[in-house]
Amino acid sequence: MKGWRGLAVGAAAVAVAVAGCGTSTPSSDSGKSGEPKTLTVWLMDGSAPTTLTDALNKEFQDTHAGVTVKYEVQKWNGIQEKLTTALTSNTPPDVIELGNTQTAKFAAEQTLLDLSGDVSSLNGDQWLSGLKDSLTWDGKQYGVPFYAANRTVLYRTDMFQAAGITAAPTSRDEWLAAIEKLKAANASDPEFQALYLPGQSWYTLLSFIWDEGGDVAKAQGSAWAGSLNTPQAKAGVDFYKKLVDASATKAPKDVDEATPQQSEVYGKGHVAMMIGLPWEVGTAAKADPTLKDKTGAFPIPSKTAGKTAPVFLGGSNLAVPAGSKNQDLAKEYLKLLSSKKYQDQLAEGGSVPGTSTDTAKLATTPVGKALAASAPNGKVTPTTPAWAAVESGQNPLKDMLTAYLTGAKSLDQATGDANTALSKLLAG
Amino acid sequence: MTAVNTTDSAVPARRSSSAPRRAAPDGARRRRGSAFDRLLPYLLLAPAVISILWLIGWPVLSVLVTSFRKLNLKELTRGEVVWVGFDNYAQILGDSTFWTIALRTVLFTAFVVVASVLAGLLIALLMRRVGTAARIALQVAMLLAWAMPLLAATTVYQWMFDQQYGILNKTLVKLGFDSFAGHSWFTTGTSTLGVIGLLIVWQAVPFLAFSLYAGAIGIPKDQYEAAGIDGASAWQTFRAVTWPELKPLLLMVTFLSMLWDFKVFAQIWAFKRGGPDGGSTTLPVYQYLEGISKSHFGVAAAISVVMVALLALLTVAYLRRLVRSQEGEL
Amino acid sequence: MRPKKVAANVAAILIAVFFAFPTYWMVTTALKPRIDLLSTGYDLIPFSLTNVNFSTAWNKPGFLNALGNSLFVSLAAVLAALVVGLLAAVALSRLRFRGRKGFVLLMLIAQMAPFEALLIPMFLMMRDLDLLDKLPALALIYFAVTLPFCAWTLRGFVNGIPLELEEAAMVDGCGRWGAFWRVTLPLLGPGLVATSVFAFVTAWNEFLFALSLMKDQTKETLPVWLSGFQTNFGTDWGGAMAASALFTLPVLVFFLIVQRKMVGGVTAGAVKG
Repeated sequence: MKGWRGLAVGAAAVAVAVAGCGTSTPSSDSGKSGEPKTLTVWLMDGSAPTTLTDALNKEFQDTHAGVTVKYEVQKWNGIQEKLTTALTSNTPPDVIELGNTQTAKFAAEQTLLDLSGDVSSLNGDQWLSGLKDSLTWDGKQYGVPFYAANRTVLYRTDMFQAAGITAAPTSRDEWLAAIEKLKAANASDPEFQALYLPGQSWYTLLSFIWDEGGDVAKAQGSAWAGSLNTPQAKAGVDFYKKLVDASATKAPKDVDEATPQQSEVYGKGHVAMMIGLPWEVGTAAKADPTLKDKTGAFPIPSKTAGKTAPVFLGGSNLAVPAGSKNQDLAKEYLKLLSSKKYQDQLAEGGSVPGTSTDTAKLATTPVGKALAASAPNGKVTPTTPAWAAVESGQNPLKDMLTAYLTGAKSLDQATGDANTALSKLLAG
Repeated sequence: MTAVNTTDSAVPARRSSSAPRRAAPDGARRRRGSAFDRLLPYLLLAPAVISILWLIGWPVLSVLVTSFRKLNLKELTRGEVVWVGFDNYAQILGDSTFWTIALRTVLFTAFVVVASVLAGLLIALLMRRVGTAARIALQVAMLLAWAMPLLAATTVYQWMFDQQYGILNKTLVKLGFDSFAGHSWFTTGTSTLGVIGLLIVWQAVPFLAFSLYAGAIGIPKDQYEAAGIDGASAWQTFRAVTWPELKPLLLMVTFLSMLWDFKVFAQIWAFKRGGPDGGSTTLPVYQYLEGISKSHFGVAAAISVVMVALLALLTVAYLRRLVRSQEGEL
Repeated sequence: MRPKKVAANVAAILIAVFFAFPTYWMVTTALKPRIDLLSTGYDLIPFSLTNVNFSTAWNKPGFLNALGNSLFVSLAAVLAALVVGLLAAVALSRLRFRGRKGFVLLMLIAQMAPFEALLIPMFLMMRDLDLLDKLPALALIYFAVTLPFCAWTLRGFVNGIPLELEEAAMVDGCGRWGAFWRVTLPLLGPGLVATSVFAFVTAWNEFLFALSLMKDQTKETLPVWLSGFQTNFGTDWGGAMAASALFTLPVLVFFLIVQRKMVGGVTAGAVKG
């Protein structure tokens, strides 16, 4: 009897009912093997490898008699609605995965369990700093870093060789030069694209803006305001266009890398480079299995030769809903997941583990090596609860890119409009 | 993805316009006045009315109540009740973008309703004039359009209008319109809404065409013959015979189309989430952005209330007409 | 007259192509091999065909389970909406009583409710009824949402049946129920069929409530299952289109079964006119 029915039920009844499930009444459920319990775990589609989750769930059940792990993979489509309603239900899931850019919102709204007291038992000293920032709200920790990944330039080693490019580019100039060489070497192929770069790949844009020393938004006290109209941000947007023009990419200018899936385009074999995540190679290999061995990676080059550009650290945190009935069990589950064994498996799967600084297992593949090399330079989007609405709603950065790339707006106008829209969103 | 407010999910209801007049309009059963007879209509109506009041009326009432509260994720999950009076309404009505969006929604609805009803009517009349083969082809094609799931239809349309890989641009280039090579259909709100409007019309027309066709073939043949003898042109025949016969049915489907098209959400959201630059944002999208995306459920509820009020305003003329009309019509 | 007739037929065929094209595109996309999907070449007619997408879709876990769930909630909603709607329609069409106009208006106004906005209150309602994660909750919601339209439409169909027929049967010795059962109901067949299509397609397509109210994955309906082809990293086009085709099939079958009846009903209306 919560929320919307308040009027009919009466405030007093509401307060009583809420005490049962809204606040975090610790339940002493761990260790007692008497009652059968079900721990509901929600992970997102495509996050952890199934080999890992299978082993993890089995081990947890084996060491906790009477406990069944109800492990469910959630789809991205409609996840906002599903999380909102699930957190309101009498029996919310016990462990949920939240994107790092949306964690702040759920933490600020007090829907998650405060885990500050358990940080040390969850390998707190090894937490990936970018993710730790994203789950910290008001000085408290509301989750555990799960995994992170950043984009690198995935490229066709055979095409680079054929074009006479001997070393991976380490600066923007070298990158542009490589594009020219690739274009020249493949001039006979009308479908050829030196780089596949759709118009709204805004995570890539973040790299360029940060590389120029700018940012999308700046904190002014506790309030945030857009900073897309700064010279640095404009320079980043301008380089994006330069790259699109130089590479003569055939990618649509009004979509992001998901529609069409850029790995599918890459998989057709006429694309020399794409800016993507490690597992996108796997998707591409579904169309052409030989691509797995023909794909290398290098960090997104910086404008300063020899450095790598800062990259957006995409990833997830794991959290326990405040209304969970099995909070202690959930914590133990998280503890098991943050142990070295499973963190190594995450690294092996191609992502940066959240609670272990050991990335040796990651650096065993060429793609993983590039990822590990640029990860220390990883940054995150503004850690304000309002940011979640930027991604789940209308993202001004995407509109800005399309408007500028298609020539609908000038650089000043596009960045100015987007800045106004972004500031409005961040103001809540 | 609610099929309810999308027209693809309706049916060729054979509402022959002249039917109510043919059926003795004043009903029956006046003979005996036993208690059972007096109660009977209410007994028959009870299941429907109770269901509607319980399953729709109650949630609608909750929305109304919520519109006077501050209800974010925090209040929702913890069951806190925070009254804010008319703050939510003040916030919406004081936002200049709201008025732009409201106006856009009304215009978009008007455009889509007029286009789909007109297209439905023309196809219905066409179906009476063509040969059997062409009519069956038309009917099967419309059934296919109707049966296609919302999700699939939206995806296919996005795909057809894709800038690089879309079959539409490729075809236009093939036909000699070279400027469409790499043309983006989604750089302005108007163009985006144009494509979405086409999709909605495409989904809506089958229901309208089937209903109007059913109505049209219900028009007695002798009326046409009479008109034909007078040497009337096709347009005159339409004015003299078809239009008066179809008018009640046309008003009816126009009314239903307004209800459905005004509330369209899934298709608009799927294309560009109401972008670019909010240029294709309609009230249901605005409601979603506030409600789910920002988790301001109180504000979203207030938007819903304003939406229903606006919709009632738009349709009040029709509803009054219905109420005033003679008993048999209603 | 002749050229006019030809022009009309040509126009009809062109319009038919316009309406059928997206279905054609869905099916051919599903039949294209992965490598041909993102072609910049002119691919109106597929270069080569494969059934790999269909087997991907068919073998994606949960298909048959979701199919069963969807059939259950859709058919239950249709059946309930027809029965309850018909009772109301008969009352509104045949009987005279105080407040009749008000009830008719209720059926119309109920259709104005903003469905998406009802998600959270309906969710809380189902939670308090302890119906979350139970398929009847969905059937109940789809029933409620389609009921006003069904009752309204059926009222029109009942209006279309001459009262004299029923009265004649009553004179012949049938009771009121007998007359209704033997005369009115059979004549209503096409109307019931047409109305059921509306309710069926509505329930069959619904996504948001099915997603939010059924946390348990064994309770997934087909639209939710279908959305699984869309991930954060993009959509599996071929698979999604093949799945969509499979998703469309039951509706088409339903249409084909009832289509003859629909046309029959339409013709009956004409004869009566």
